[in-house]
Amino acid sequence: MIEVQALAKQYGSFSAVRDLSFSVRPGEVLGLVGPNGAGKTTTLRCLAGIIPMTSGTVRVAGHDLAVDPVEAKRHLAFFADEPRLFEYLTVRQHLAFVARIYGVRDHETIATPLLEELELLEKADELPGELSRGMKQKLVIACGLLHSPSVMFFDEPLTGLDPLGIRRMKDSIVRRAQAGAAVVLSSHLLHLLEEVCTNVLILKKGEKVADGTLSEVSAQFSNGEAGVSLEEIFIRATGGTEG
Amino acid sequence: MLGALLYLRLTSLRNLLVQRVRRLRQPKYLVGTAVAVAYFYFILIHRNGPAAPAAAMAAQSMAQAGLLASAATCGGLCLLAVLRIAFLWIMPDEKPGLRFTEPEIAFLFPAPVSRRALIHFRLVSSQFAILFTSVLIAFFFNRAGYMGGSRATRAIGWWIILSTFDLHLNGTKLTLSRLRERSPRFLAWRIAVVLALAAYVYAVFRSGIALVNAYATQTQSLLEAPGALVHQVLSSPVFFWLTLPFRFVLAPYFASGLGDFAAALGPALLFLGLHYYWVSHTEARFEEGSIALAEKRAAAKAAMQRGEMPRIGNSRPKASPGPFPLSESGPPEIAFLWKNLLSMRSALFSRRALLIVAALALWAAASLGPVLSHQARRNGGDFFSPMVLGFTAIIAVYTVLLGPQIARQDLRGDLANADILKTYPVAGWRIALGQLLAPTLVLSSILWVLIVVAAAAADPLGTIGWLSPGVRVTAAVCLAAVVPFVCLIQMLVPNTAMVLFPGWYQATRSRGGGIEVIGQRMIFGVVQLLFALLVVVPSVLAALLVVFSSQWILGAGPAIVLATAAVLMILASESVMGIWWLGERFERFDLSVDTR
Ligand SMILES: Nc1ncnc2c1ncn2[C@@H]1O[C@H](COP(=O)(O)OP(=O)(O)OP(=O)(O)O)[C@@H](O)[C@H]1O
Ligand SMILES: [Mg+2]
Repeated sequence: MIEVQALAKQYGSFSAVRDLSFSVRPGEVLGLVGPNGAGKTTTLRCLAGIIPMTSGTVRVAGHDLAVDPVEAKRHLAFFADEPRLFEYLTVRQHLAFVARIYGVRDHETIATPLLEELELLEKADELPGELSRGMKQKLVIACGLLHSPSVMFFDEPLTGLDPLGIRRMKDSIVRRAQAGAAVVLSSHLLHLLEEVCTNVLILKKGEKVADGTLSEVSAQFSNGEAGVSLEEIFIRATGGTEG
Repeated sequence: MLGALLYLRLTSLRNLLVQRVRRLRQPKYLVGTAVAVAYFYFILIHRNGPAAPAAAMAAQSMAQAGLLASAATCGGLCLLAVLRIAFLWIMPDEKPGLRFTEPEIAFLFPAPVSRRALIHFRLVSSQFAILFTSVLIAFFFNRAGYMGGSRATRAIGWWIILSTFDLHLNGTKLTLSRLRERSPRFLAWRIAVVLALAAYVYAVFRSGIALVNAYATQTQSLLEAPGALVHQVLSSPVFFWLTLPFRFVLAPYFASGLGDFAAALGPALLFLGLHYYWVSHTEARFEEGSIALAEKRAAAKAAMQRGEMPRIGNSRPKASPGPFPLSESGPPEIAFLWKNLLSMRSALFSRRALLIVAALALWAAASLGPVLSHQARRNGGDFFSPMVLGFTAIIAVYTVLLGPQIARQDLRGDLANADILKTYPVAGWRIALGQLLAPTLVLSSILWVLIVVAAAAADPLGTIGWLSPGVRVTAAVCLAAVVPFVCLIQMLVPNTAMVLFPGWYQATRSRGGGIEVIGQRMIFGVVQLLFALLVVVPSVLAALLVVFSSQWILGAGPAIVLATAAVLMILASESVMGIWWLGERFERFDLSVDTR
């Protein structure tokens, strides 16, 4: 579903991501973790085709992002860390707009239950300026899910959501993965990642430190101890003070 | 408290200056600064240099006229000030707020600081801006040399004027807030104050008019010695007493020598002190209002940086229904058109803005109508039609040149959303085209209306032989066909500029930038103008060439059609190339890197 080969991204002379390769199969949820500034957002933005990568290849749902971006993007959804919305479009108008862009037939029948689930139905005719941050984020999510993407990228998807929202978000991610979607998400909330992810990839200063299923990675850093938490692994892998 | 404030302001100022100077290493800021400095040098400072002999000769009469002009300006500004205050009394804010920035609110409002200290903080921090403005105005606008006085006295004069007004505004806000909290007769109070203000303005106006009339009967022509008129009005006792408060405030600015200045300073400072006492001793709640105000200002600033024009009337945006029902399938460009038309309606046409425009139009009609009919009667001939044609031409030129700066509901308006746009499964050129459709359509519609008006108004008496009804309609239709392409290309210019030089573009959007921003804006303006000429001039030349060479054979109507076909070919290929290129650039565009 997602195949990344030797991805690199430079900002001017600063190299934010170097030689990153991994793949995510349908049904897998990959957790991207790393300290602040490790390059998580940069990686996700490259994968979603938002910023051009400096070198490497990315294939999304079988389409090379550099060769056929439009086809690749038809299958993906990207959820940014800051909810970005069009200031003068109401909740409903956002969905209508996105439906047209992705050519979603009969979007009302998909959108209404989605809004219902996200508890946005009563705000359906309001502008983003009148929504709280969490509601904005939910609207972004609704817009992204409208075209039933098979590849999803989440950058810090859980910040700003209420507890019920977090639970629903986790369930929704897991459900969509079980239905065959490939998901990459970055988060600092490691205990939540443990519940959602099948795989993890640890980044440090733009380079991959570890990659694999949860058990593989914990085996790599647990030094034979049993029941080491992801948090402990994270600190060991990224060379925190306790490590 | 004040120590903390001074620390905050001075360190911020120092860091700002350091950052500005460092920025000059980047060419975009260096070039901008160079252009702006050159501009100011030649336009302002150079002109203030040694006067030519002819100018000195003219100076005598200039001073006379200048005196009248300054008196009129001064009166107008005082009237505006009174109106501003009256407006506060007529429509007081629900919750009056003092101007704090969002970080100031975040740090100071929860801090253990009294309300009075907050007011002090606000007053002192506005002093920084006022001092800066005073010095700037006094140094840059040194034209009024005939009035005497020096730059220093005028700078202090400005400081007194601005500070007094600032204090008066804040005092009024706080008083209104206190009245609302405490007095059951809030409305009665406000009516009384507004009536008093109206009576005052009326009295001043009447006494002034009476003096002018008296002067007119004395002398042959009103404008023979305008200076004398001004002196006579100003020295009349009734007028003197009526305008005393304003004289206190203005006297230091107009002082002609140091002695004068010193004498004027006492009353002015006393008056200022009274205002200060008033503001600092009015206990009223202002926190909520200040928070609302700060949010509004931050939102306006963010909108500016996103590339939108500030909203006229500054009211909150309202949800509006789509301009047309958007179906789920079809070209995605239409979705962008739909979205941007929707934004335009909310962003540009707030109800208050429409009211203001309507009021202005009414006022213009009311004041111009009599003049026009009078002229028409006197000249006998047709005065109306050239007038209308002239107006339509002016509006058309403004629409083409300034329209793209005002109608920003395109790629520029979505700069902050570039990330989302790029995740859409839509090719770059289609996004570019879609984003440009809405402003192009709106500008074209304006021009179409103008074409209809001009076609109807041109030569109503039928004096031009070849302008038969057929030719008239043909020309109008052909022009109407060309218009959308001209608008599209005009919209392409700023959008391409933004995608090519986002850093530049971003810089010109930020408010309160330094001198380099002014220079960058000038460069953008010149580029827009150049492109307009580059696009329009060759097509116009081609059109004229075709018309003149073929009309002998074909007749005027077919010649115009032929010319239009040629022009359309040129413009259409320019548009296609432009859009394709813009789309290419947008696909490569990296917001995060380029706007740093
Ligand atoms: N536009 C940019 N220009 C230059 N450098 C950048 C830019 N964006 C990010 N960087 C740098 O690239 C590195 C990676 O940034 P990135 O935003 O990908 O980190 P992150 O892992 O998402 O961090 P966080 O956990 O804080 O979200 C950082 O060192 C950052 O300073
Ligand atoms: Mg990040």
